[in-house]
Amino acid sequence: MIEVKKIKKQFEKVNKKGKNTKFYAVNNISFEANDGEIIGILGPNGAGKTTLLRIIGGIMTPTSGEVLYNNTPIKEKEIEIKKEIAYLSGNTKIYNSITPYELMEMCLSFYEIPKEKRKEKILKISKILEMDKFLYNRISKLSTGQVQRVNLARCMVHDPKYYILDEATSGLDIISSQIILDFIKEEKKKGKTTIYSTHYMEEAENICDRVYLINEGKIIMSGTPKEIKKKTKTTNLRDSFFKIIGGSYEK
Amino acid sequence: MKSKINLVLKKELREVFRDKKSLAMMVLVPLLIPFLVIGISALFNFEINTSPDDFNKIGFSYEFDFVQKDMAKYYNLDYVVGNEKSLKRLYEQEKIDLYIIKKDNTYEINYDENNERSAQTVYLAEKFLNAYKKYLQEDLLKNNNIESSNVLDIINISYKTMNEKENNFYVNYVTSYAFLFVIMAITVSATYPATDATAGEKERGTLETLLTFPIRSKDIIIGKFLSVSITSIITGLLSFGLALLSLYYSNRWFPIYKDLNILPNLTTTIITISIIILYSFLISGLCIAVASRAKSFKEAQSALTPLTFICFFPGMIADMVNLKTTNLVALIPFINHIQIYNDVNSGNINILHIILMFTSVIIFVSLVLYYIIKQYKSEKILFTD
Repeated sequence: MIEVKKIKKQFEKVNKKGKNTKFYAVNNISFEANDGEIIGILGPNGAGKTTLLRIIGGIMTPTSGEVLYNNTPIKEKEIEIKKEIAYLSGNTKIYNSITPYELMEMCLSFYEIPKEKRKEKILKISKILEMDKFLYNRISKLSTGQVQRVNLARCMVHDPKYYILDEATSGLDIISSQIILDFIKEEKKKGKTTIYSTHYMEEAENICDRVYLINEGKIIMSGTPKEIKKKTKTTNLRDSFFKIIGGSYEK
Repeated sequence: MKSKINLVLKKELREVFRDKKSLAMMVLVPLLIPFLVIGISALFNFEINTSPDDFNKIGFSYEFDFVQKDMAKYYNLDYVVGNEKSLKRLYEQEKIDLYIIKKDNTYEINYDENNERSAQTVYLAEKFLNAYKKYLQEDLLKNNNIESSNVLDIINISYKTMNEKENNFYVNYVTSYAFLFVIMAITVSATYPATDATAGEKERGTLETLLTFPIRSKDIIIGKFLSVSITSIITGLLSFGLALLSLYYSNRWFPIYKDLNILPNLTTTIITISIIILYSFLISGLCIAVASRAKSFKEAQSALTPLTFICFFPGMIADMVNLKTTNLVALIPFINHIQIYNDVNSGNINILHIILMFTSVIIFVSLVLYYIIKQYKSEKILFTD
């Protein structure tokens, strides 16, 4: 289980007058993600999704609040907890000069997986994500969709408990997106927890158990896709979002 | 907790050895060294061998007596006689290198120190006039029944070389510059992998990927530092090997090094290799420290350009002004390695200075690594967005 408790993240930016001003990219966000759940974090660009997921993934430190994995704060056992996490975002790129096989081999060594078990794990994930045809080609020679599949493979090859996926299907073709979504659904069946951020509302509606709509660093609505549609009296999450955002602007 | 330095190092080295630009920097820069070392030797050789015969065209404002004619022949003087005006014109037409005007008992050498030919010919003119002066002095003493050697050679001056290598200007110059080129090659070649491993990785988005792994930032930094150091050491050793080869062939090809051994002995070679390794660690740490603050590859390259100059100019200037190596100098980075190399190369091995240099480098590298590890905890440094 992942618990996000009152997370705040403050940054500085330079205003029009050239002075440094402080603002909250994430402002007092709390939620829980139970085992076997897929949690959707939805919001427009700049809403604070990436910062929130970076904090959950342990690559950024919150200004206040804490993230717990099975009741253990990540800052206390960062390295141990990171071994259980698969973190993927649009910003996490992979090394071009190596092959997908070499990349996954390297990742498994970072996760301290014994050498004799690595090949088996690589071939298994390669089969699931249909990477057999380009497993030994240099990553620089692969298409965008293939690269994103390799990226997904590198973060899940060690069989993690938690998936933190930030815009994982962004910029992908339909086939590659579907492969990733199917994989997440399969992992859910195994009891794995996924926190999934996207601005594709249809995608979230399709795979998420619960969603958190965030804007300007704050949760503006949460619930199952069904509950949100009911609350906003809409037929899809996209319309719900526009209705809530519009409402908040009117306010 | 198991250290993952070796895994990060393996990853970084694989990237360096698969990147054509990094490989080119590592190998191509040292290849320039033979051209520079052999080029300097060839230039010295040319100057030495051409000066006596070539810079000998002198104009005189007076007619020679038979003694001067004999001397002119002896000194291989290519002379002309004319008045001041005509001699000046001949100089302007570059038909003579300088001219001598006789006024009563004064012989005035007219030359231009900015003109290399003219400046070189002054030595011959002085030799010629001093020889003629000596002849007149001897003649005068003889006419007064005085033994000339009792007056003119009242004391004798002789020279004895204590260290053949140290006292040979050309050997000192060429070996000192060969080492400086090695230092320059290490500096230039360290900048690319350092930039690529820090700002480059940030720009490509792979740094964020690396941060998602269960690796401590200390392990990431030390792994990166070691990979840049290893590539710098490879460049340094390759450069040093090529410098030795160039010195060996210069020794064989150019008569200025005749009867001399310009190659360093085993002790000097071992100490030089140690200095190269130490310098590689120092420059790698500094390059990573500077490049890791940059947000892009281009920004890092701009920031590193001044560093490459700072790294060898202090040593070069210290060499030019003949700075003496003291305990304090042995502690100053970027000066100590050139000073100690020059001392060792001229046969003055001071163990205390070498220990001080080692200590200084270890302290500086530790401070630099501490600074980078601290930087890698700052989100401003890690994330470009």
